[in-house]
Amino acid sequence: MIGPSASAARFAALLAALGLGLALACLWSLRTGAMPIPPGELVGAIFAPEGSHADVVVRSVRLPRLLTGLIAGAALAAAGAIMQAATNNPLASPGILGVNAGAAFAVVTATLVAPGAAMGTLVWWAFAGAGIAAVAVYGAASAGRGGATPVKLALAGAILSAFIGSLTAAALIFDTGSLDAVRAWTVGSVEGRTMASVAAVAPYAGLGLAAALAFSRQVTTLSLGPEVARQVGQRVGLWRALCAVCVVALAGSAVALAGPVAFVGLMVPHAARLSVGVDYGRILPVSALGGAALVVAADAALRAGLPGRDVPVGVGLAMLGAPVFIALARGRAVGRAEARA
Amino acid sequence: MSRAALGPALALALVGLALASLAIGDRAIPAAELLGALAGDRASAPASAMIVLDLRLPRVALAALAGAALGAAGAVAQTVMRNPLAEPGLLGINAGAAVAALAGGLWLHGLPATLTPWFAFAGALGMAAAIWGLSWRGGTSSIRIILVGIGLNAMAGAAAAFISLFAEITALQRMQAWLAGSVAQARWETVWPLAAWTLPGLALALAASRELDLLAFGAQTARALGQRAQLAAGLAVALCALLAAAAVAAVGPVAFVGLIAPHLARRLAGPSHLARLPAAAASGALLLMAADLVGRTAIAPTQIPAGLLTTLIGAPFFAWLLWRGRHA
Repeated sequence: MIGPSASAARFAALLAALGLGLALACLWSLRTGAMPIPPGELVGAIFAPEGSHADVVVRSVRLPRLLTGLIAGAALAAAGAIMQAATNNPLASPGILGVNAGAAFAVVTATLVAPGAAMGTLVWWAFAGAGIAAVAVYGAASAGRGGATPVKLALAGAILSAFIGSLTAAALIFDTGSLDAVRAWTVGSVEGRTMASVAAVAPYAGLGLAAALAFSRQVTTLSLGPEVARQVGQRVGLWRALCAVCVVALAGSAVALAGPVAFVGLMVPHAARLSVGVDYGRILPVSALGGAALVVAADAALRAGLPGRDVPVGVGLAMLGAPVFIALARGRAVGRAEARA
Repeated sequence: MSRAALGPALALALVGLALASLAIGDRAIPAAELLGALAGDRASAPASAMIVLDLRLPRVALAALAGAALGAAGAVAQTVMRNPLAEPGLLGINAGAAVAALAGGLWLHGLPATLTPWFAFAGALGMAAAIWGLSWRGGTSSIRIILVGIGLNAMAGAAAAFISLFAEITALQRMQAWLAGSVAQARWETVWPLAAWTLPGLALALAASRELDLLAFGAQTARALGQRAQLAAGLAVALCALLAAAAVAAVGPVAFVGLIAPHLARRLAGPSHLARLPAAAASGALLLMAADLVGRTAIAPTQIPAGLLTTLIGAPFFAWLLWRGRHA
């Protein structure tokens, strides 16, 4: 075990490195695209726009895309970290547990029922969908013998996702025209958002992040398991509920903006825990920074690697994240959590 | 109901539902014309005979066979994984079939549509093999199989999304019905291959019912009773995959029949696989036939794919299973 000051220095260095990585990813994302824009003009377009063609491209296409990735990545990673702590489950994440799917279905429904609804309205649909899904999955999985074990939670999440997929398919049978509009969004994509949408969602995501950071001590206590948490005097039910509210705000805003981007909320918290230990005061900021950097970099890499095809970032992240999930499932942590339950 | 009466009761239900499915539809067929057509008399009411024999009968046969295969496959899966929540569809067999069929149907232009089932079949088997291989760590555990299946499922879903995103929208819309799981495209040419796979598969499962009874006790007990448990479990998974893959190849990814039917069968027939497997097959056939009948008549002329209905019934059923706490 390293001493507290050494580990604090290491944490500060990690934060600085992540910040630098995020800045580089942002720069890469802004530069990548059909039209080459030199760095000098990029800075000018953001801080002192003159209405040139490059300014318009940066301000109306690339900047919203970048911010969408930033918000979605940070929010989903933080939500995943909270879920893993609050459910004592290494496989928990907004994607696996069906929270993303619930939010996504609510948003698809809203766009079918009321076409052209503003993002400020859609985000509340997303909150409702995420909340209902979270309650349904956790409720179903924690019923019965043994409580909410990792396998029961993952199965309940998978079933909910299948159920919702069928509902979406049913909705699209009656409205075939929407298939084309909805298909890119349902896998998670940061393409084609407007600055107004970003501005409508950002406050909710920011509030969720701030609350998560403020609760980080309680989240750490929860992560030790309900027995320990109760022994040190924590009101476990209350804090789990508050964590759920945080998760709904974070995942709901991410999904309203970018669609159900998969596996960010699973991979990033694990990487964060591997590098900074068990304290959620550190895991949460590292997760948020890392999630933002991952989504932005993955989107830029897909655009740079497959120019002109516009692969949704959710597809790339699922290809990256599913092997991580499988490795976790094969690992010992799941076995331990199952044995404890 | 006594267990002795179960066989005749299920058979009666199957025949009754089949006759109802043949008679009900956009054009109702009177009983006399229906029986005449089934007896091979095409002359006296040619239009009715055409509807019954060429349109509805292959559809009913396809639903019955696919449902039976999925029900039996689900019963085997639940025994091998010793988990009443396991289901072939959830374990990635459906997703593997869907990805392969999409890739074949959308990428290889000019591919004859008759080859789609073969792509689906190969995809489903490949997926089952990948799950079994990846969950192997000096033996398999049911929990690892389930979780690896969920992970691969998500990956296959992303791959399917990737493929369909760059597809022509019209080609994608054509595949949408198959992707939801539907028997609407039934023709005798799809019924025969499915029958040729399913019936020997069911017979094989029945022949192995004693081994399955042993497996149900768990690997350690089975080994103590003289069974080579890993080998038996591997063969059982292969059989389950073959049955489910054949069904999915013929009708598309139909979920939850393999979950619900074995539970009904366990209720009706008890623990012995010799009785449970036929009951699961019959329940699966009844479920899929009923889903198709409701789907094509409920809001006609719009046809709801049978797979959609089974999911809409199946997911709440799954929640109820969890709620009942039957998960040991």
